[in-house]
Amino acid sequence: MSADLDQLVRAPGAADVRELLTGLLGRDVTLEPSDGFTGDAATGSTFAVYVDDQLTTRAVAVVDLPLSAYAGAAVGLLPAGGAQDAVAERDLTPILKENLAEVLNVMAALLNEEGRPHVKLADVHHVGSWPSPQVCADAAATGRRLDLTVTIPLYGAGRLSIVGVR
Amino acid sequence: MKILIADDSRVMRQIVIRTLRQAGYGGHDLIEAENGAVALELVHTQAPDLVLSDWNMPEMNGIDLLRALRASGEQVPFGFVTSEGTPEMVDRAMSSGALFLIAKPFTADSFRDQLDAVVA
Repeated sequence: MSADLDQLVRAPGAADVRELLTGLLGRDVTLEPSDGFTGDAATGSTFAVYVDDQLTTRAVAVVDLPLSAYAGAAVGLLPAGGAQDAVAERDLTPILKENLAEVLNVMAALLNEEGRPHVKLADVHHVGSWPSPQVCADAAATGRRLDLTVTIPLYGAGRLSIVGVR
Repeated sequence: MKILIADDSRVMRQIVIRTLRQAGYGGHDLIEAENGAVALELVHTQAPDLVLSDWNMPEMNGIDLLRALRASGEQVPFGFVTSEGTPEMVDRAMSSGALFLIAKPFTADSFRDQLDAVVA
């Protein structure tokens, strides 16, 4: 492995994502490979920014509106109907946003590995607040990305992309 | 016994409480803090028998909470429940005086594995 690669954030596999979300949401989450998702400006999306200890952005996660609502509801054992209402209204309630932020916080574990820069969640740009052009550009980066459709039983499916930035 | 749960996420505090019940520790007195500074105050005023703390929190993070407790001579048993799970972070936790580190997401079994030796 080259010195350059040693400096990169860990690139999680789909199995890592499934294991983490299944454990955190308490449901047998299923995943399928998907096309690259860089955010949906029409309905809104959630962007999570992960930084290293020098506050340099190392990774961005993008979650579409449905998965934002379903994950936020599932982690708090909230009714699926409320999450579906949020999707229809294209807005998340404060509790759904707070819960989703914790899901994205725990997902930082996917990016950490011994010997690589330590990263943690720095910012969450929720549905309704589009992030900066830099975050959008990071989310659209090609190469080091994992693009998935995630299905949460009893709630529904949506899209998740995790992008290694640098 | 009295268990203090420190985590800035309300839903994670709920999940920790639910998991404690699932692991068989439902009969204990549970108190909550939303950051390390509140937890530090509650340790001094409420005298919990165990602290379960997140690592990354606003105001005061978990490792600073632990160090402040030990610096003041407070020896309450302390374990991390955190998304920080790399060997480096476990080493930092243990060398600062933590008894264990439970990585999120966790199960009732992972709670039992660590808490059985601590919780009477």
